[in-house]
Amino acid sequence: MKRVLIGFFFLLALALCYLVTSPTQAAKLPPPSGAVARKVHLMSSDSGSDKWARLGYFGRPLPIGSMLLQDESTSVAPQGSLLAFFQRMGDSPWSTGLHESRYAYDLIESVHVWALCLFFGLAVMFDFRLLGWTMKSVPVSEVARRLLPWTAVGFVIMVISGALLFSAIPLRSYQNIFFRAKMIMLLLAGLNVWIFHSGVYRRVTTWDVENVPPKAARVAGALSLVLWVCIVLSGRMIAYNWFDCDRQPQPAIVNLLTSCVPTQAEH
Amino acid sequence: MSLLAFFQWCEASGIGETIRKSSWLFPVIEAIHLLGLGVIGGAVLVVDLRLLGLGLKRQSTAQLTRDAQPWLVGSLVLMIITGGLLFLSEAIKCYYHDAFWFKMSCLFLAIVFTFTIQRKVIMTDESRLRPLWSKVAAVVSVLLWAGVGIGGRWIGFS
Repeated sequence: MKRVLIGFFFLLALALCYLVTSPTQAAKLPPPSGAVARKVHLMSSDSGSDKWARLGYFGRPLPIGSMLLQDESTSVAPQGSLLAFFQRMGDSPWSTGLHESRYAYDLIESVHVWALCLFFGLAVMFDFRLLGWTMKSVPVSEVARRLLPWTAVGFVIMVISGALLFSAIPLRSYQNIFFRAKMIMLLLAGLNVWIFHSGVYRRVTTWDVENVPPKAARVAGALSLVLWVCIVLSGRMIAYNWFDCDRQPQPAIVNLLTSCVPTQAEH
Repeated sequence: MSLLAFFQWCEASGIGETIRKSSWLFPVIEAIHLLGLGVIGGAVLVVDLRLLGLGLKRQSTAQLTRDAQPWLVGSLVLMIITGGLLFLSEAIKCYYHDAFWFKMSCLFLAIVFTFTIQRKVIMTDESRLRPLWSKVAAVVSVLLWAGVGIGGRWIGFS
């Protein structure tokens, strides 16, 4: 399980490196045909019968006419950039079906929130133990052995449901400042886990039953706590569009961080 | 005063008005509400996994409950405060939303169950209790708290 986690964080690191180095020109694209539907998702919904109609639409391939339209719009993005990739992803029938079918999307999001209790709740309990705030009479290795497998299960559910949510609105998420912050903090949290397990936790037998573990363990616990709290906060904020590319003018720093290039007309 | 009138009064209150008018207050309160949910989840799961025999094993459930209690109560208070603020900003929407009533029913049952029946099961000497009962208590507790969380999430989906 530990190897799976390390592998995941390695892939995440690769993706982030690419994100940082990928071309940012032409980041502001003419609205693709999927953009209208993407906006629909941010607005409050409509009548109930419509939702079922949309659920029925889930995964159905798009009519040929709209496919041609998308081909024209995607050709604007530089070939091979992440941006173009996510735009193609967003225009795929899978992605359109997912963000237009409100029940499928909402269900996945509910799973994401529900698994948060399993993952975040138990990870935080372990951090509290490392800080000496709870379960002081329980050896740290015991808490790790019996509870961390559950956080690993929760983490896998979080990654799968999170990836599905991302695939429903890929381009907007990719250019969302909170999403980017979340991914960077995920990486840091993974790094923290790795440092803790390959460092002070190797000597756990020497401090296993201490009420308050040594400083290195407390620092790891505190870092983990702060990072996961910030990850949850920024994850929640992805839903809000304050810094989105289509809301110009934005401060230059925001456009830099979201790799948006606003067109002249919007100034 | 009828229930609807009370909800209308809540919606019209100054606090509700302030939260509605601000573009960032609702998201921030909601995010704190979500953090509280995570901590409650952890505190509940530590005890319930122990009852199910799937989590910590060597410590008594009574001891673990005493350890988890402050976090459960603390985050419950945090959630009720932030949840109350969120409610004030959209009370009338909640009145007409099935998920809100589902959530409140689950919340009421979860609190009552956790602090009476489940507490009794946990404090009973483990040798005198059929293991089945502690497992049933754990499953009921997980389902009730999950109902609160899922009901809450569905208030947001109108």
